[in-house]
Amino acid sequence: MSQSKGVSPPKNPPLELNREMVRGEFGLRVDELSGQKLYDCYQCGNCSSGCPLAQEMDILPSAMIRFAQLGQKDILLNSGTIWICASCFQCTVRCPKGIDIEAVMDTLRQLALEAGVDHFGPDEISPELAAEVPQPGLVGVYRKLST
Amino acid sequence: MAKVAYYPGCALKERSSHLDRSARDAALGLGFELDELETWTCCGAVPPVSSERVMNLIAPSRILKDVRDSGRKELITICDFCYNTLKRANYSIRNDEVIRKRVNAFLADDDPERTYLESDDAPWVDYDGEVKVLHLLEYLRDIIGFENLPAGLKNPLKGINIAPYYGCVMLRPEKEIKLDNPENPTIIDEFTRALGAGVVSFPYRTECCGSYLSVSSPDASTRLCYRILSSARANGADALVVSCPLCFYNLDSRQEAIAEAYPDFKPMPIFYFTQLLSLALGNGPEKQGFDMHCVDVSPILEKLDTPEAAEVGE
Ligand code: SF4
Ligand code: SF4
Repeated sequence: MSQSKGVSPPKNPPLELNREMVRGEFGLRVDELSGQKLYDCYQCGNCSSGCPLAQEMDILPSAMIRFAQLGQKDILLNSGTIWICASCFQCTVRCPKGIDIEAVMDTLRQLALEAGVDHFGPDEISPELAAEVPQPGLVGVYRKLST
Repeated sequence: MAKVAYYPGCALKERSSHLDRSARDAALGLGFELDELETWTCCGAVPPVSSERVMNLIAPSRILKDVRDSGRKELITICDFCYNTLKRANYSIRNDEVIRKRVNAFLADDDPERTYLESDDAPWVDYDGEVKVLHLLEYLRDIIGFENLPAGLKNPLKGINIAPYYGCVMLRPEKEIKLDNPENPTIIDEFTRALGAGVVSFPYRTECCGSYLSVSSPDASTRLCYRILSSARANGADALVVSCPLCFYNLDSRQEAIAEAYPDFKPMPIFYFTQLLSLALGNGPEKQGFDMHCVDVSPILEKLDTPEAAEVGE
């Protein structure tokens, strides 16, 4: 395995911007559920540069925040990023604008799971792993990645 | 002997029982007893972030309320996930009136159903976040005092270089946890130094090991653990010391997969901080549950020039 395995360069689809995108229904819902002021983000990129899983992500954390500001529900809820984020809070402690980015990630996971489909279901774990992973790993993964 | 309320959590009761046992032994060696709560449940492992998920606060709040109701003011826990969850639940209850009311409404509703409790006629009192949640390391630093540790050590850990690994949820998010500086923590460094070992600092000491991704994306966790371990090695560490069962599991049991993926990799033993403390206090290696480790710790024990260490190697 090379160190670059699983790395896909962030590809942000071109968006045609318009006024209605800003402070639209979806962006405000994420704002409210996460308790974060999304529109405070000035795209400094600190969250992305410190994220230990950035190289595994299709959309970087700072881009996730931008897409949220622009109400891009489909892009966000179909991203791989929400499922590979390990909830480590590195981004959260480094944001100069005091945004808890992990809370936004968690909110997006929750909204994606509202469709009722597990990202990682109970039948996907091998019996060997199920028998040895310490409980916080098991409880954590199912709380974050399944309905 | 002083008794302090103790919440072990699920992992320490089973898959990480060596963390529990070494902690209890070490506490006794220092003159206090970890007094396990009579009834407790899983804390839920990850605290709810979204404001609508008050339900996930019920379990940790109930645990804390039971501590308060038993007349105690402090609760020690060791697993970093339990610590994070209990502390954040407490923070929400203390600082958010709406959450406090909703959580207490749930708890009060649920109370009559708890028929397994010895009934008492004490009137219901809302839980307002009165209990202080302490990580065992925090108790050692703030109540016992790291400066008082060396005097009681029978076997100071001379001759080994240990890299403290902090991981994520013990330190972050800073606002709620406030244990140490999340970017430049010192608590495990000071602890390790007090035990007499050499302390190795390395750049990846606060980087995530992959947490629960070891279940859903094991390859990602393998890559993260490789980075952490090889960085510690490059900076001169003989072993890593951790406090979290999931960090321990990822960093210890992933080493086989790491060795397959990265031919330059050399195995590195992982210790719980409680095992190091218990060893230094004079409890033998046979009490530390080293047989539960994937990576053999005996090269480190041999370096420790103690009578007990000489017996190891079976
Ligand atoms: S660190 Fe904060 S302000 Fe900077 S890009 Fe990330 S969310 Fe925006
Ligand atoms: S919480 Fe998620 S997005 Fe933030 S730094 Fe950690 S892995 Fe990256």
